[in-house]
Amino acid sequence: MNLEESVQMQARFIERRRRTRLSDFPWWILAVGLLAAAVAVLISTDPDFNQAFVIIRAGLGVTVTTSLAAFALALVLGLIAGLGLISANPVYRNAATIYVEIVRGIPMLVLIFFIALVMIPGAVGGINVLGELLVSRGMTAAGTPLAGLDISQVDMNFRAVLALAVTYGAFLAEVFRAGIQSVPGGQMEAARAQGMTYRQAMRFVILPQAVRNILPALGNDFISMIKDSSLVSVLAVRDITQIARLYAGRSFKFEEAFTILAVMYLTITLVLSIVMKRFEQRMRRHEHA
Amino acid sequence: MNTHESMIRMLDVHKTFGSLKAVNGVSLTVRRGQVFVIIGPSGSGKSTLLRCINFLEVPDSGQVWIDGRRVEAEPRRLNAVRANIGMVFQQFNLYPHLTVLENITLAQRIVRRVPGEQAKQTALRQLERVGIAEKAGAYPAQLSGGQQQRVAIARALAQDPDVMLFDEPTSALDPEMIKEVLDVMLSLARTGITMVVVTHEMGFARAAADVVVFMDQGQILEQAPPGQFFARPQHDRTRQFLSQILTR
Repeated sequence: MNLEESVQMQARFIERRRRTRLSDFPWWILAVGLLAAAVAVLISTDPDFNQAFVIIRAGLGVTVTTSLAAFALALVLGLIAGLGLISANPVYRNAATIYVEIVRGIPMLVLIFFIALVMIPGAVGGINVLGELLVSRGMTAAGTPLAGLDISQVDMNFRAVLALAVTYGAFLAEVFRAGIQSVPGGQMEAARAQGMTYRQAMRFVILPQAVRNILPALGNDFISMIKDSSLVSVLAVRDITQIARLYAGRSFKFEEAFTILAVMYLTITLVLSIVMKRFEQRMRRHEHA
Repeated sequence: MNTHESMIRMLDVHKTFGSLKAVNGVSLTVRRGQVFVIIGPSGSGKSTLLRCINFLEVPDSGQVWIDGRRVEAEPRRLNAVRANIGMVFQQFNLYPHLTVLENITLAQRIVRRVPGEQAKQTALRQLERVGIAEKAGAYPAQLSGGQQQRVAIARALAQDPDVMLFDEPTSALDPEMIKEVLDVMLSLARTGITMVVVTHEMGFARAAADVVVFMDQGQILEQAPPGQFFARPQHDRTRQFLSQILTR
């Protein structure tokens, strides 16, 4: 091969690489970025958009803390129910199955109303009865606060967190079940053959592997949780959706309010989704299995 | 024979899967320190029989005794029995999320409640014994099949077991890795630990076994010391099996 040929080949190679780089480039991120930039310009130049942004921004804290708290609680519920779905104990297994099936069969909006406005008041009523019972048995110290608990004291933010957590717990139960079942059966056998209890085998051998397998799914569910947290605005929880609705209704600036609202959700979820992807890539690179 | 001399006793053990009689009325005695090799065609029930010893498969009927104690399905007592039995699987079944060292220390720490440093020393000693001490910090996926199986043996030995069970330990290995595992098992056999080995490796059976048992269709057809077993098999089915496997 003479010098000319080799230079040509190199040029062709560089050209091909340039083309694949162009086609691999995440153009969609650029497009969304431009959109976000356009909205950012609007916010900084247009006083109406600016006002809408400043007002709605006040709800970000509620949206984020509600989502985080509800997701943390949903993880606990999901793990407990997920272990129930595969339990050998028929009571535990059926209880978990009932929970998952009921939640899956009801629209999330309806479920949020039901949990916040029917179940929680019902539970408070039950606590009242228990308290009165304790008082009548002479256990005044323990009974009085329970008997005196008033449903109006249970604030809507707390009810919203509980409602979201119960709903997502059922979804996460299925995720945990699938994750546990993705671990080869030989792992449980090896652990039990060493004398570990079922609990120890789950905790030290199965769950660490299962959680690794379901981390991407959990990440996606957290993003969904942030979006679905907008539903708690029906409970008058002052998250960004509720504030945007109130603001739009008051000022009739629907365009400004709901554009800002949509872009806020989009920004949060996109940033999270990119962080998630990065994290997954890093996990895959460090994977030893 | 007193109970101290017999390490494992099985009395009329049955195990069925659906309509398949995997183990169909097996009784046997493994004496302390014996190397007890079970051979037989695929599906003859030899692995199921082995798994009935530590109740990974709970027998439908019959009794299993280990060191004079009856093995029962009651969880607490069963776990105590299992803690004294080391088991090596065909597929190794190492814990992939843990390092080699952690694989060997885990059960020591949470089952036998051995302090961390002591568990680590035991693990390193056993790794030394199987010849791969330098891999203590590696993850299972970074090891060859033969190395993984040797780690699995070290993991079982770290339980300080009375009995070692081997379920076709070389069947999933590439041919060039079989020897390194068999060598470890041979040297282990010479230490006098009680071993029950399900295998297709006739060379190992000849060299290490005290007793060779031939199983077919869930039953023990023949049982003899290896010299006698391979030179003068009594049963037609045994002769047929040996001629097939030895001429292969």
